[in-house]
Amino acid sequence: MEKIVLETKGLTKRFGSVVPLDSIDMQIRKGEWVAIMGPSGSGKTTLLNLLACLDTPTQGQYILDGVDTSTLSERERAVVRREKVGLVFQQFHLVPYLTALENVMLAQYYHSMVDRDEAGEVLERVGLGHRIGHLPSQLSGGEQQRVCIARALINQPAIILADEPTGNLDEANEEIILCIFRELHAEGRTIILVTHNPELADFSDRVVRLHHGRVV
Amino acid sequence: MAGDKGLHMTKSRMFLLILFKSLKIRRNRVAITFFSIMIGAAIITALASVYFDISAKMSRELRAYGANFFIGPAVSSGSRIADSQMIEEAIRMVPSDKLIGTSPYIYGVVRLDLGNAVLAGVDFAGLKRLSPYWQVEGKWIAVDFDENSCMIGKTLAKNMELKVGDAVNVIRNETGFQRSLTVKGIAETGQAEDEQIFVNVSLAGKILGQEGKVNHAMLSIVTEGTDIDGLVARMEGRFPGLDAKPLRKVSYSDGRILEKIKGLMAIIALIILTVTTLCVMTTLMAIVSERTREIGLMKAIGANDRNIVLQFLAETLTIGLAGVAAGLVVGFILAQILGQAVFGSFISFRMLVLPVTLIPSVIASLLAAALPVRMAVRVVPAQVLKEE
Repeated sequence: MEKIVLETKGLTKRFGSVVPLDSIDMQIRKGEWVAIMGPSGSGKTTLLNLLACLDTPTQGQYILDGVDTSTLSERERAVVRREKVGLVFQQFHLVPYLTALENVMLAQYYHSMVDRDEAGEVLERVGLGHRIGHLPSQLSGGEQQRVCIARALINQPAIILADEPTGNLDEANEEIILCIFRELHAEGRTIILVTHNPELADFSDRVVRLHHGRVV
Repeated sequence: MAGDKGLHMTKSRMFLLILFKSLKIRRNRVAITFFSIMIGAAIITALASVYFDISAKMSRELRAYGANFFIGPAVSSGSRIADSQMIEEAIRMVPSDKLIGTSPYIYGVVRLDLGNAVLAGVDFAGLKRLSPYWQVEGKWIAVDFDENSCMIGKTLAKNMELKVGDAVNVIRNETGFQRSLTVKGIAETGQAEDEQIFVNVSLAGKILGQEGKVNHAMLSIVTEGTDIDGLVARMEGRFPGLDAKPLRKVSYSDGRILEKIKGLMAIIALIILTVTTLCVMTTLMAIVSERTREIGLMKAIGANDRNIVLQFLAETLTIGLAGVAAGLVVGFILAQILGQAVFGSFISFRMLVLPVTLIPSVIASLLAAALPVRMAVRVVPAQVLKEE
């Protein structure tokens, strides 16, 4: 068995009397591909924010790659984000005035050192070797998402956290992105995919279903 | 260590790349910020240039309205005449850079062709600087050993029916002096001088039989930064036979007008700086709200607050310094226009203007950035990244 890379214990988020996330216990092992599914309002987004260290739980523990993140300050969580988490967004979120290559280098810049060749290689890896000098506005949605994936991969994160990565893409591009995820999985990367698309969930090792903020 | 150095160089290159690309993409807003700061800096530069130059310039301007200092024989001595050498030595006690002009005066009554007149012996070069407002028809007497020419007050010239170029006989019965002098110029002074005839002080000495003597000297001194009372005390201490006195009315009002104008300029500069700061702040806030998603993303992929603050301060400072640099140039040109319009003279550049413009402008830019930067730091990535 591979070691556990991500573990939550009684992870809870409350906003006043609203409890979007209620005592989640979850373990994900290294190399696993887990899909988190559930209808709107089931707490997917809240869970994603907690797993990405963008938010703090009201209660419970979240241990990522051996680090208990639930008690960290915002400054320390920024360190965890750049060291251990690779984020892929539904809306891609590229910096509009930087080229594909520079967008990937931006993640290197906040992480440690900037290495142009390495950034170029990762873009090559997602099939964008010929478009590294283009601005996001000059790229198609699918290409933008591939830049986003390259950016998530560049710092060798412990987990890749993808939020509806194909939600804004057509079928052909969805296929390309899915293909990349399958390759990453084959390489032994840990992937957590938040989606409500059952087709996407089919490729995962297992599915965690959320309903009213609880695992079902 | 070598690797370390390379790492930092690349990181700072990346920092500059983000900095300039983010400025380039927002040309319009950057331009608004740049021009706001430039206008603010230009006005401070212009006012400061005038402000630092005004003391000397305006003092000199006011000094154009005649003498403001008198040296003559002490009243207690009972004499109305003094040794010209002693008076010259007293004049030499005035710092040369503060002395605009000076002339000795010796008076006596002479007979001209058509009647009597007051004759004044003066130093024409000094008199011209003492009384630049005199309207002279013909010419000033340019050479101080010229003993064949004279200048005549306008009223006297009219009464004696004299024109420029005419000859006039000057007679002094007591000394038996008689000579025909050429009228070089006719002066309209608006004062008692309109009824006098002027010759070089050396010639007047001969005419009046008082060579080497003068009645008094008049001086025009820059009062700004001069210790007038101290000067009077030192002169009278060294020459007990002399009276030295400032013509108070003019000397003191010089200073008062200067102080008022300086205060007015400082207030204008402060108001302009405040307006600039508010304008820059509004623009920067608009920039930050345009960029909340970008800021959220930077945070999400690992930027900490320090990175965000550094990014926005660097952008503001870049625009700010460029604006100040342009403002210094524009302001100096503006100062020339002001100088010409108000004082009729060019304003010279003074190094002191650099820090006086740079420091308040940079502080204003940073103050203007404070609130927008706080906005940027407070962006919550989880909120902004989910918005459609």
